[in-house]
Amino acid sequence: METVIDIRGLTKTYGTVRALDGLTLSIPRGGVYGILGPNGAGKSTLFRTLLGLIRPTAGDATIMGGPIGAPTSMRRMGSMIETPRFPPFLTARQVLEWLGRAHGGVTSTEIDHWLQRVGLAEAADRRVRGFSVGMLQRLGVAAALMTKPDLVILDEPTSGMDPPGIQEMRALIRSLADNDGVTIILASHQLQEVQRVCDRVAIFNKGKVVTEGRVSDLTAAGERLRLSVTPLARALAVLGDRASLDGDAVLASVPRAEGPAVIKALVEGGVDIEEARWIGADLEDVFMDQTGWTGVQELNHAG
Amino acid sequence: MLADAIRSETYRLSKNRTALFWSVLFIPIISVVLGVIAIIVAKAHEADLAGKLPPELLQRAPLNLAESLVKSAADFANPIVLLFILIGAATIYAGDYRWETWRLISARNTRPNLLTGKVVVVIGLTVLATVAGLLADIVTHLVQAVILSRSLSFSTDGAGFTDFVQLTLLSWARIIQFTMLALLAATVTRSLLAALFVPLVISVAQFFLPQMLMQMGVSPEGWVAPLLSPGLATDLLKAVIHGGMEAAGLPPQAALKAVTGLALWIVGPFVAAVAYFKRQDLSKE
Repeated sequence: METVIDIRGLTKTYGTVRALDGLTLSIPRGGVYGILGPNGAGKSTLFRTLLGLIRPTAGDATIMGGPIGAPTSMRRMGSMIETPRFPPFLTARQVLEWLGRAHGGVTSTEIDHWLQRVGLAEAADRRVRGFSVGMLQRLGVAAALMTKPDLVILDEPTSGMDPPGIQEMRALIRSLADNDGVTIILASHQLQEVQRVCDRVAIFNKGKVVTEGRVSDLTAAGERLRLSVTPLARALAVLGDRASLDGDAVLASVPRAEGPAVIKALVEGGVDIEEARWIGADLEDVFMDQTGWTGVQELNHAG
Repeated sequence: MLADAIRSETYRLSKNRTALFWSVLFIPIISVVLGVIAIIVAKAHEADLAGKLPPELLQRAPLNLAESLVKSAADFANPIVLLFILIGAATIYAGDYRWETWRLISARNTRPNLLTGKVVVVIGLTVLATVAGLLADIVTHLVQAVILSRSLSFSTDGAGFTDFVQLTLLSWARIIQFTMLALLAATVTRSLLAALFVPLVISVAQFFLPQMLMQMGVSPEGWVAPLLSPGLATDLLKAVIHGGMEAAGLPPQAALKAVTGLALWIVGPFVAAVAYFKRQDLSKE
């Protein structure tokens, strides 16, 4: 697997806080890669480190073959870290012109194209001081993409956007990965969005990777067989501790490969099966499981 | 790459009308307005003021524009002009911290290039301010000539073109020296206010420093005084330009020491700022 980023033992400490704790991760070239984690897990710190905004305390990383901060690599990257801010006296078009000049120049046709693509064509000549958070996000995405980068890092790209905006952004990200061959790394708290748009994810907790893999593999690992059966008691007896109740049905926690054998055992045990179907765990379940996070914990902590 | 950084910073400054107005246009406009008002008042009360105003103001003798420009050039780097030029310089140097835009732009070019680009643009800004100040002086004299019915001359007998160029360059270098302090202050503190006021505080300190040094027995003709006080170095160079080394009563090495002192105060803060910025964490601008 060809990698676009190789991270080896990356550590960043702020006083006694270890924002990144010996992080090791390889991100493959191509596709959309999601970085997930609760607040303070180290996602933004990782992005800032990869972009050369902050220096790691220990460890290093290779980005497109070069070390962190190498000009040749940096010029092939686009990024948007958190909600972007811009000089308030500039219009959206002027922001892209200003950033484009620092990069070596971007034509006005390209600027128009990207303003159109992120849905800011009508606001192109408005000063950004009056922009909503969603509009700033769109402009930040346009700024990240306008230089045709090979690698794009997006931190919460849909934060503050309305539902149509989120849908458009999702389509744009997928299109860049599928049609333009751009590698996109994104962090988001919207797990359903991540599940829809990402090919692979890494889940962070306390500055470390707790799990990593293809979204389909991670969610498949939590798959269960949902069985509508009679009698319930006999089915529970046959399945033993692999079974749990889900209303009038039984959930069997078994690997997909063992499905036929489980059904055969139930039938031989005198259980009538009306319906059997696999239900997948979603990314949220995997996230909760891997980070040990619960809504109650979060609320108590916030309180 | 450096050219890209300069183009980018120039473009942004060109759209920042507030910074341009205060740092380039405000002082020339005010000086023209106040100058014209003073001339009108003088004209209206010519008879009453005959004995109270400097005779040259009310005389009908030609106004020597060349002499006036030399005087303006020599006095251009005064604290008021400095304050307003520093508004523009501080905006350029501290703007990316204030607007949290380093994270957007620092990935698009190298850090030394981006900082050097800002310095080049500030130097351009000071040239604009200097030219605008001198143009304002010419306009004021033209108005004075018209209102007071005086002719204009451009005699370079007393103060030649060379003097004018040298004094303009000296004033300009003095302003650049303060903008370099603004650069260092902005980079280290990430604060626009610090970028504005640190150079002003240092300029006040440097005003008193030569006297203090002399009281401490430090000779202004040695190396220490011009190296510690770029203000003293500037005064020495002005004296040299006005009268030459011998007329100014200075030893032969004095001009070299003064130039070295001024140059170090320009290059030193710049090198320090670039070295610091190359390693600076931009986790929160």
